[in-house]
Amino acid sequence: MERAEKIGLGVATAGHVLLFGLLSAGFLATPNPLKLKTPPMEVSMVDEVALQSTAPQISTAPPPPSIAPEQGPTEDAAPAPEPEPAPEPTPQPTPKEVAKPAPAKPQPAPKKPAPAKKEVAKAKPKPAPEKPTPKAKPAPAKPSPAKAKTDTKAKADAKPAAKASTKSTAKPKADAPARASGQGKADKPKGSLLGKDFLKGIDTNADAPRRPPAPAPAAAMGPAQKSALDAELRRQLKPHWRPPSGADADKLVTLLEVRLDKSGAVIGTPQVIDQLGVTASNRPQAKLHAERAIQAVKLASPFRNMPPEFYDQWKWLRPLRFDARLNR
Amino acid sequence: MTLNLPDVAAVADAATISPLALFLQADIVVKGVMLGLLLASIWTWAIIIGFSVSLRRASKESRKFEADFWKAEDIDRFYETRGKVEHPAAKVMAAGVTEWRRSTAQKVVDRDGTRDRLATAMSSTIAAEIDRLSDRLNILATVGSVAPFVGLFGTVWGIMRAFTAIAAEQNSSLAVVAPGIAEALFATAIGLFAAIPAVIAYNRFSHGINRLESALTRFADSFYATLSRELEAQR
Repeated sequence: MERAEKIGLGVATAGHVLLFGLLSAGFLATPNPLKLKTPPMEVSMVDEVALQSTAPQISTAPPPPSIAPEQGPTEDAAPAPEPEPAPEPTPQPTPKEVAKPAPAKPQPAPKKPAPAKKEVAKAKPKPAPEKPTPKAKPAPAKPSPAKAKTDTKAKADAKPAAKASTKSTAKPKADAPARASGQGKADKPKGSLLGKDFLKGIDTNADAPRRPPAPAPAAAMGPAQKSALDAELRRQLKPHWRPPSGADADKLVTLLEVRLDKSGAVIGTPQVIDQLGVTASNRPQAKLHAERAIQAVKLASPFRNMPPEFYDQWKWLRPLRFDARLNR
Repeated sequence: MTLNLPDVAAVADAATISPLALFLQADIVVKGVMLGLLLASIWTWAIIIGFSVSLRRASKESRKFEADFWKAEDIDRFYETRGKVEHPAAKVMAAGVTEWRRSTAQKVVDRDGTRDRLATAMSSTIAAEIDRLSDRLNILATVGSVAPFVGLFGTVWGIMRAFTAIAAEQNSSLAVVAPGIAEALFATAIGLFAAIPAVIAYNRFSHGINRLESALTRFADSFYATLSRELEAQR
């Protein structure tokens, strides 16, 4: 009996030691399914869209004149009864000839040439096609591509007219017959709208720039830069941001106002602008939340990698938002 | 908004099932509970092994002794040669024979008194043998019923401590809570690890003891009947 118990004790001890030794050594350990083959990647989402247009500014210079293909002879050009109106514009070779052709138009009032005239009128006030103005006015200057096709002939008209203002007065003369003939053809849709000599004005402008000047860099930050800057701020704040925990603590949002100098350091103490999401259950944490937010800004203080060319955008961070999302 | 996943791989690596690691990172109370349960488990298995050896030997020898006894011609001589060994059936027979010799030593034999004394002597010997054999069974019963509760105590204590850690960290992420709960649950695991074999062995061995007891009682009754007949023939 005693011997049997001694044997039993020995066997049981040895068995336990063996079992726990095997378990400690990783016997029965399952391969961890959570081990990731590729490291997690950072995803940045743009959730704010700037109200300001940030597209590169397009120069107001007209696109280089393109030589339109000849459309073939117009059959009814000769029998048109409008040779008489054509000479009427010619007597005015003054630089103000565009004002004149405009009144000249109303008499037949054809639908087609009307947009072309408007373009001429708009392009005219801008006296310098070569020098792009800093103001963004892309809409009027940029002809829509859809229109471009239908207006090829109209543009051919417009270009020489625009150039005419800076050039000699000889071109208006060339223009005028063309326009006159165009009007003449309006009631006869069979023929081309262009006169035979519509290329005349283009040849003289051979020295004009072939393409508009290079677009200027955007002055405002785009959504992409804004989001990148936001992500950079969050990335630097995150290690220092320790929000309090507790009931409804993740509903708290603290909005701070932070001033930064050019080196990225905080000027003065960040001010609490507002706190959102304060409920009865997380009210005790609200003050701590704000303190931790201020502390996070101070700890993260010299913000690095801030783009100096956008200093205007980040010198005054208001509102800088601290919430549960930042911690994630 | 920046979605930055936590370092999943690092968190997952911390979760191993190694009992040694779980034991070492546990609280002192939980450590005590685990150690006690481990000792209980070792003791349980020692009893199981020792008990099964001794019970099997006792029942086998008793059966063999019984068979030999009924084949023997002369009880007195069988007693002289085989009756002095250490197993239950031999002891029951020895008690009967001793009582018989004492009672029939006198000139006048009180038959009823002798029968009573023979029955009492043999039944008390059976009871003594069964008691001696089943001495360890109560330990199995105790371990089987108490070890889960002790383990549960360790778990409750460990989880309380884990929650205190959450409160201190002010962070309720799973990575903070999980190791504490795992180590706490390990206490219950050891408790069940000790209790389950103990309960199974207790049931099995009490059944074995009951069978041995009834076998001894049958043998004692037969022997008593033989002695009683012998007493009647003795005039």
